[in-house]
Amino acid sequence: MSGKESTMTASKRALSAVIGVLLMVAVVGVVGFTLHSASADPHKRLYATKSAETIVIDGKSYPKATITMGVYADTAQAKEMGYNTINKKDYVQYGPSSHIVLPAHTYVTMTIHGYDGGEKLNAPFFGKVVGTIGGTMNVDGVDVSEIPADQVQHTFTIHSLPSSNRDPLFINIPLQHVDQGDKGALPTLDKATNFKGHTMTFSFITGGAGEYVWNCEYPCGDGTYAKFGAAMSAYGYMSGKVSVA
Amino acid sequence: MTTLDHHTSVRPVPNPSKSLITKLNMGTGLVVGIFFAVATYYGLGGDSAGVFENYNRTLLATMFMWSIGFMVGIGAFIGPFRWLIGKDLTDEEQLYLAGDGQGIKRYFKYCTDHKVVGIQYMVGVMVLLGVGGTMAMMIRTNLIQPGSKFVGPSIYNSLVGLHGITMIIAMIIVVTGPFGNYIMPIMIGAADMAFPRLNALSWWVLFTAIPVLCSAWFLGGIPTGWTAYAPLSVQAGPGMNAFIATIIIFAVSTAVAGANITATVVAMRAKGMKWNRVPIFVVGATMSVALAIPAFPTFMVSMIMTGLDRSYATTFFDANLGGSGWLYAHLFWIMGHPEVYVILIPGVAVLMEIAPVFVRKPLFSYNAAIAGFAGITGLSVLVWAHHMYMSGWMPMLNGPFMVTTEMISVPTGLIFLVILGTLWRGRPWLKLPMLGVYAFLWNFLIGGITGLYLSDVPADNYLHGSMYVTAHFHYTLMGAALTGALAGLAYWFPKMTGRMLHERAGYISFWLVQIGFQFLFLGMFIAGAEGQPRRVADYSINFATSDLISSVGAYMIGVGMIVLLWAVIHSWRHGKIAPMNPWGSKTLEWTVPYPVPLVNFDTPPVVTSDPYGYGKASN
Amino acid sequence: MSDDHGLVEMQPTPGQKLAAIFKQREVRVATAWGVLVTFIFFIIGGWIYPSWMPIAMSTDMKSIERLIVIFTWISAPICGIVLGFSIYTFLHRHKGDTPPVDGPGIRTNGLVVGLWVIVSSALCLVAIVYGLIEMNSASAATAEHKKNALVVEVTGSQWAWSFNYPEQGVVSHELNLPINRPVEFRIISVDVNHSFWPVQLGVKVDANRLQTTVVDTTPNKLGTLDVKCAELCGLYHAYMETSGEVMSAADFNAWVTSHQGGHTA
Repeated sequence: MSGKESTMTASKRALSAVIGVLLMVAVVGVVGFTLHSASADPHKRLYATKSAETIVIDGKSYPKATITMGVYADTAQAKEMGYNTINKKDYVQYGPSSHIVLPAHTYVTMTIHGYDGGEKLNAPFFGKVVGTIGGTMNVDGVDVSEIPADQVQHTFTIHSLPSSNRDPLFINIPLQHVDQGDKGALPTLDKATNFKGHTMTFSFITGGAGEYVWNCEYPCGDGTYAKFGAAMSAYGYMSGKVSVA
Repeated sequence: MTTLDHHTSVRPVPNPSKSLITKLNMGTGLVVGIFFAVATYYGLGGDSAGVFENYNRTLLATMFMWSIGFMVGIGAFIGPFRWLIGKDLTDEEQLYLAGDGQGIKRYFKYCTDHKVVGIQYMVGVMVLLGVGGTMAMMIRTNLIQPGSKFVGPSIYNSLVGLHGITMIIAMIIVVTGPFGNYIMPIMIGAADMAFPRLNALSWWVLFTAIPVLCSAWFLGGIPTGWTAYAPLSVQAGPGMNAFIATIIIFAVSTAVAGANITATVVAMRAKGMKWNRVPIFVVGATMSVALAIPAFPTFMVSMIMTGLDRSYATTFFDANLGGSGWLYAHLFWIMGHPEVYVILIPGVAVLMEIAPVFVRKPLFSYNAAIAGFAGITGLSVLVWAHHMYMSGWMPMLNGPFMVTTEMISVPTGLIFLVILGTLWRGRPWLKLPMLGVYAFLWNFLIGGITGLYLSDVPADNYLHGSMYVTAHFHYTLMGAALTGALAGLAYWFPKMTGRMLHERAGYISFWLVQIGFQFLFLGMFIAGAEGQPRRVADYSINFATSDLISSVGAYMIGVGMIVLLWAVIHSWRHGKIAPMNPWGSKTLEWTVPYPVPLVNFDTPPVVTSDPYGYGKASN
Repeated sequence: MSDDHGLVEMQPTPGQKLAAIFKQREVRVATAWGVLVTFIFFIIGGWIYPSWMPIAMSTDMKSIERLIVIFTWISAPICGIVLGFSIYTFLHRHKGDTPPVDGPGIRTNGLVVGLWVIVSSALCLVAIVYGLIEMNSASAATAEHKKNALVVEVTGSQWAWSFNYPEQGVVSHELNLPINRPVEFRIISVDVNHSFWPVQLGVKVDANRLQTTVVDTTPNKLGTLDVKCAELCGLYHAYMETSGEVMSAADFNAWVTSHQGGHTA
């Protein structure tokens, strides 16, 4: 009255079980693959350019390398600066990539061009330059060791999980903001003189190979709590990875 | 598929052809729901140039209108509306609503038969467990080695938060949904629930919450855990609105279901079923939903306040403007702690129902069981701030909350006493349901003892916020409550589907899940004791071994649960036809045949004793 | 009756009752399993569990480790009872496809239930009292040391910690502390909830927005400190970790003066 007895043989049932289980495992696998792909870094990695020179610090000799990044108020500004960003959202972002690769045991000189305005840091500590050679950075030709908390546009802060299998690396670079009244620093339409904003240059020595992260410590997200929403909470705009290899 | 029709009486198949209710079903619900949602979204301006508060308002409104629209489209409001205008539903229409003569179609309609609602809940729970379980596999894959190479931090945090809330929702309804609806009314000798239309309402409202929850993935995910702490939840992106809306919708469903179950058990027991003859499963399920009724409104309130902070820039949780993050934590945990007992008690009650049947001895000290459940239920509303020991809100109140929390160990101990006493001097028949009892004894022992460390304030200084906590609550929620639910599934499968669950597949699944479970969470205890924080996408290399062991265990569970899913689907279609009472149980649901008649009993039963009259009576 | 010579029934003494119970094989076997389990948990609690925990660098952490050992020892007999009975009945199971015959119809045993409640309540009371005493002595120690304490203002921000030493005029991302000097951490967050967790020091408290929370301890062992965030705070919560060191007073002063603007007391 309520259904027929099954005519399935034991072997047919076992086959149905194996196929069924494999099928469902495959479904989970497809979900995993989709999430993995969605997590891939949007940009290709940005490699530091090695140079032939060396430098001696504290009696040890290090090869040199350089790398340049910029931070742009939105996609339009990034494109104007010649960086073809494939970030999906029109947020403030670092470019040309959020994943940089630095050589190990190297004296790295990094240049960051910053074109954005700013308000006030949440945590004043991040207005100080930390982790560079001499504890200073060069802003448009002048060496400074910190920037007042209300003159920062973004920070570039490298840190990592302390771990026994990699050397510690902590760098904090506050970027001098572009004052809207400072006509000399604003971007212009003339492509030749377009590199306005402020240029920050600093150097540090990398340790052994390891994976690190970087993020901005400045509230440049949207109007939410502490202004850390939107761009600040989405991976790849104001946060990324540093590979020392 | 077996015909799930239970039209066996001589009355004609109801077909009130002119009535609107015959034309409405899940399909019309989807159409109206989607229409309302789309109209709301674009009517409120869609993306609104991304302005934070406007977009949140738009999204929340869209999600609520989807839910309301679906309920309109499936005909949930027809009954009340007809009552309002004085033209109540006719008897034929009521019989139609009960699904009389509609075969499998009634599972896709607004059907008031509690047995249909029970099956709907069972399928819904399976979907939620599948989605939540898949997310768990993703989480553990990311943690299988340090370096977070599988998914990025944003997706990982979303996985953690959404896995948590999906599983919590699934666990809340896993026993009271399928078995509380299908089995419980038959077990008390009733013809249906006290409010059959509300029963259908509670299921379909829950159904509307499922796509809302899944939409979080398409809105950028959530950065918080399932606890959705403010202020991070206020800072979060659009996906947070899906979480907020899901909880508010779910709270409605649970409140309705809880009230229904309580009213049914209080008012509709069979003649002669005095309170001391009520099966322990019914007692446990009722206490659990009765506890949920005061607890869940605070969750709803905390979500409404979060939603307002996000959509109208209110400052409930903004310390900068007079609010407080601790306010959120209190509102949340005043729900959150009773809620874990809402999850635990029905699972335990199922196991207490199973043990006497498979040991052929009476339940040991029915009164101790009642005292255990009652003590847990009562104390559980007094312990919530033990989740906040380290929050800094008021250190001098940590002591009193530690006292109340540790006191819960006494009624919890009674639960062990009852089950052990039932086992002692018996010869357990180790069918799949009974295996669950043994798994529970081990899992809940570990869960309970690790809870003891966590309840102690000084020890919590170390253990709070570490993987130790995660392992502890998985041992209790999954090792005890889910184990109870799966035992219940194996136990009641013959009555709900007319077939026996494939035994060998069930055993394979049981051992894979339980052994994998030990690897997963014992490994996690070690990681926590070593100092790994929880909810982290990446970790230091010294936790690598424990995390690897955990991830391997997780895969075992995954395979085991997939085997169980196969067994359920296969047995439902091709399983051995079950006799009326395969386990020899003495509760009322085993006195009715399958398919269970529409009104369950041809003649209402009269009860003369409790269902534990095994063995030669002593005492 | 007094002139019924020799035919008065003697009630068994409690000792004889107990002996009679233990004469039953099932009781002896279950007890043996229980004792074995108790012993295993005793070993786990005393030696295996502590091996997982990090090096204790303060009395707070030391007493946490001691508490975990003692609570495990208190729980060991409970595990023994539960698992002893479980293992025995599992091994003594009914095999076959038909249900077993009915067992004895034992509905309850007042003595067992009563004893269970009393003993579990007593154990619960022991745990409560132990915990309250620990909490009390910790806060007494805090009150005593507050005057001499080194103040460290901890700021949690998404997603890095910074430490301000107001007395020394130093701000750093590393938590360095001099050994044997009481330290008072004043913790605050500038954005969402974080949780300050210097692992080896055995203290923890949330960092809340605009509300300072305070926790005290005294590092009493040299070595590396791990500072982690124990509350999910968004995207890079996993990476919100830093380290530091408990060092000698001289090394600490040297570290302080190596910072621009740093000055020792």
